[in-house]
Amino acid sequence: MIEMTLYGRGGQGGVTLAKLIASAWFARGKHAQAFGVYAAERSGAPIQAYVRVDDAEITNHNQIRKPDHVIVLDPTLIGGTILSGASIDGWIILNTPQQVRAWDAFSGRRIAAIDATAIAIRHGLGTRTTPIVNTTMMGAIARAFGFSLDEVRRLLNEYGYGGANLDAAREAFDSVEIVKLDGEPLIVKSTRPPAPISSLLDPDTGKPPAIRTGSWATRRPQRRTLTPPCNANCPAGNDVQRFLDEAARGDYDRALAVLLETSPLPGVCGRVCPAPCMISCNRHALDEGVNVRDIERFVADHANWPDPVTPWRRERAAIVGSGPAGISAAYHLARSGWHVALFESSDELGGVLRHGIPDYRLPKDVLDRELGFVLMHGVNAYVDSYINAPAVDALADAYDAVFVATGLQSSRSIDIANATQGIEFLDRVHRHDVVLTGQRVIVAGGGNTAVDAARSALRLGAASVRILYRRTRAEMPAIREEIDAALEEGVVLDELALPERFDAGRLQCIRVILGEPDSSGRRRPIPEPSSRFTIDCDQLILALGQEADRSIAGNANVFFGGDFATSDGTVAAAIGSGRRAAEVITHRFAPTERARIATTDDLHLNLFEHEPRHHALAVPPDLRRHNFLEVHAGIEDASAEARRCLSCGVCNRCDRCRDHCPDGILTRSGDEYRFDYDYCKGCGVCASECPRGVVVMEEI
Amino acid sequence: MTLTLCTGNYAAGHTLALAGEANRAARGCCGGAYPITPQTEIIEYLRAVAFTKGRVVPVESEHSAMGVCIGASIAGARAFTASSSNGLAYMTENVFAAGYYRLPIVMIAVNRTLGPPWNIWVDQGDSLALRDAPWLQFYCDSHQDLVDTIAVAFRVAEDLRVLLPVMVAMDGFITSHTNMVVDLLDQERMDDYLPLCNVPHQLRHSHPTTVGNLTWPRETERHRRDIQEAMERVPRVLDEAIGEFEAVFGRRVAGAIEAEETGDAETILIASSTMAATLRHVIRARRARGERIGMIRIKQFRPFPRADLVRAIGNAKRVGVLDRNHSPGSGGIFWSEVAASLRDASVLLQNYIAGIGGGDVTPETIDAIADDLTRRTAATDPVWQEIAV
Repeated sequence: MIEMTLYGRGGQGGVTLAKLIASAWFARGKHAQAFGVYAAERSGAPIQAYVRVDDAEITNHNQIRKPDHVIVLDPTLIGGTILSGASIDGWIILNTPQQVRAWDAFSGRRIAAIDATAIAIRHGLGTRTTPIVNTTMMGAIARAFGFSLDEVRRLLNEYGYGGANLDAAREAFDSVEIVKLDGEPLIVKSTRPPAPISSLLDPDTGKPPAIRTGSWATRRPQRRTLTPPCNANCPAGNDVQRFLDEAARGDYDRALAVLLETSPLPGVCGRVCPAPCMISCNRHALDEGVNVRDIERFVADHANWPDPVTPWRRERAAIVGSGPAGISAAYHLARSGWHVALFESSDELGGVLRHGIPDYRLPKDVLDRELGFVLMHGVNAYVDSYINAPAVDALADAYDAVFVATGLQSSRSIDIANATQGIEFLDRVHRHDVVLTGQRVIVAGGGNTAVDAARSALRLGAASVRILYRRTRAEMPAIREEIDAALEEGVVLDELALPERFDAGRLQCIRVILGEPDSSGRRRPIPEPSSRFTIDCDQLILALGQEADRSIAGNANVFFGGDFATSDGTVAAAIGSGRRAAEVITHRFAPTERARIATTDDLHLNLFEHEPRHHALAVPPDLRRHNFLEVHAGIEDASAEARRCLSCGVCNRCDRCRDHCPDGILTRSGDEYRFDYDYCKGCGVCASECPRGVVVMEEI
Repeated sequence: MTLTLCTGNYAAGHTLALAGEANRAARGCCGGAYPITPQTEIIEYLRAVAFTKGRVVPVESEHSAMGVCIGASIAGARAFTASSSNGLAYMTENVFAAGYYRLPIVMIAVNRTLGPPWNIWVDQGDSLALRDAPWLQFYCDSHQDLVDTIAVAFRVAEDLRVLLPVMVAMDGFITSHTNMVVDLLDQERMDDYLPLCNVPHQLRHSHPTTVGNLTWPRETERHRRDIQEAMERVPRVLDEAIGEFEAVFGRRVAGAIEAEETGDAETILIASSTMAATLRHVIRARRARGERIGMIRIKQFRPFPRADLVRAIGNAKRVGVLDRNHSPGSGGIFWSEVAASLRDASVLLQNYIAGIGGGDVTPETIDAIADDLTRRTAATDPVWQEIAV
């Protein structure tokens, strides 16, 4: 009978190697037995396996104490103890990168040595941290025991270990170093001193051994931060996730402080922003996106506003236009310590916020509150001050920087008599200068101005209000919720029609069909000559879009922003533009690399509970047409709605990772998390329990 | 005969699958399965088999695993499963139910120590804890004994003179996870050997019945006596089954006990499972040195083969029973059964507890036991034998 002991680490394929060795002899007609010692082993832990070979049937099932041969699969296990009970005439077969003669403990013995780890890695067997060396070792072992390469090949093929396994085995077979060392062999008795046994009733059995299980890991958890889509899509550059996080905690003052870092108009945006953040919100994949707009409104309306700072630098800036871009630039420059002078051509500050958005959407006291906050930063504002091109030049000489944000001053028009421009109409509405009792009003256009004009007309006593639009509802650029509100209030929408002639109470129109896309990407309306029709009409309002008046030219320290520069058309974009201008002017502008945007694939949506969105209360539609009072009342519990935020890709200290770590190696101190990589086995539970994709596993 | 090198678990799974498939012309086969170390490979094997008629159902616990077997068997399918240790403990209620329902279910018990504290190694306490359930119990000492006994088990269980479930036990890791050379059976001859499964009281659409209703004391007593009478018919049925096996497969399977060198023995050691294989070594070596020593391997624990045992013990003066199990407050369980069988007070009967919790019982340990037994003048309370690990 031949007996051999294998020493290895879990994951190297030691038990399978024992079976291969047994199979090799079984193929030659011998009886064979192979088994491993099963205990609390796992990848990386030291294990033993045994093989017995005999001509007669094998009936001994004991563990082998006096092996004829010893095989060691892991270089770190090579040492005197492996000789325990080993016959002095047998083989010591080692996986080692070292020279055989270096082993003093094996003097006088027959050694077969091969760098099986290097060979296995080279042939891609297992991973770099846990290479599977068993088939490689089989090559070396076969050579030592006198098996042919053919026998090895047949054996490995029978088990389906072809390809790289065969190549590795062959390489080991060919290059194993076989030598008999000089000297007297060391005899090591096989003794295992009995370990003391504690009683079950003993409360203190001492410390367990320190086994750095982290060395067994093949992957490691890492923390990362992604950009939430709301942040990526906010034209004002607000840190949406962070202000929602503060609001979720109920700290509205801090939430407001976060918003005020980028925007001085949270109450305004909280009412009129089309909210690209809400449209891009990942929570749509779960139930409904977070109602960011109403939370921003709530914070602005209810939190304590901080004390403003006053200028402390000697630099002075002039800003032309007190719309949202100008207000934003004034605010950010003043916060940086600059003296700011704000020039407005109209008799009131605010630009389109004052004149173009009706009270029922944006009450003017809200605008005044936020304008007032900006002015209290030491900004001097001058109304009734029209600044033309030469005046801009004069300002450029007198001030350290000039920022021109005059918006879109000219309205597009068509050749049709007796019509009123929408922007003018809204300005007159603002001055309470319009009565439309009993009139049949038609508004031509599809943007916010058209919808605002229509809803205002309704409130001013119009008998009927229609919006005439040359494409369909889907192509209307107005905010969708505003279109919905208008229709709820009784405005009628006429799609695919153009006005032609307006005369004596009759508006002649023509139907259109949609043709090929134009430069805006939308399909071009083509009039249908045979489809003219007439509607009764007392008042025609044109709201066909606006353009910038580009008569003002540039200069070294003159900067342009807002709709004047970009025609973006939203308050949020204007705010962002004003801030960037301030950063450029104060030399603080530094474009930063953003982490990629977090998608729903990065999240574990199954870890969130469904909860419907909190919607704002609104005045019922049939009561709205009688006045210009604010239609929306906002939400009641902003904190509860803010808690619906998934915080995509940004850690919000929910502690799920720490609470679920089965080994307790993840701790938090203050805001910092720490992985104890000495003991982290790479199980990945922290990553799968992180709802927002902050903890991810990486191969080592 | 085609030999294979494989683990005991593989061999068990393979044999169960052949038996299940052999019933494809009748109601097929079915079993509930739940994994537990050291039995898992059996379940994995069975789950991968594409039976012509039948399936192995993964369930959430061992209790349900036996539940599925009961349902399957009472519907007429050939039913089987496997478990160990705390898994067997978890299915206890249904183990008793399977027997009381008189269902010919075969279960592989891969012996493993009951916990807590947790222990994965071999110990017979798990299957022996169920010794009062109406099941036959066989303890196998090798891969071949295991394979052959599983086939015989179905034959005996389904015999109308028995109609009781059968537990076939093997040592955890020592048999289950060790690769040894074995002659695995083949489908064609299994089809020959096993008649189609016919459970007489199976539920049928044509004959709606309810099984297991409330019974009066006298009725229960009658059912229990029926079970005892079935147990008493086992030796005859087993003998026939072994004879048939030899006719079909050409090999003689060990019966209830295996006696070796007991004819003129003064000293006899009794053991079971793989410890009996180690015992065989020691007995042969001591015989070669002239000692009049013999051994008995008890393979069939239920029904306990009293008559065979007494006959084999014969005129021996000293009998030692090795138990890899222990009933607290009493002693080794095989020992207590042997004691109940031996009516002759002049025999020195000594119990040796060896290998509890999976200790490696070596020939040296058994030599020490044999030395102790031969030097004794009187029996004492059960001796706990020292083991190195």
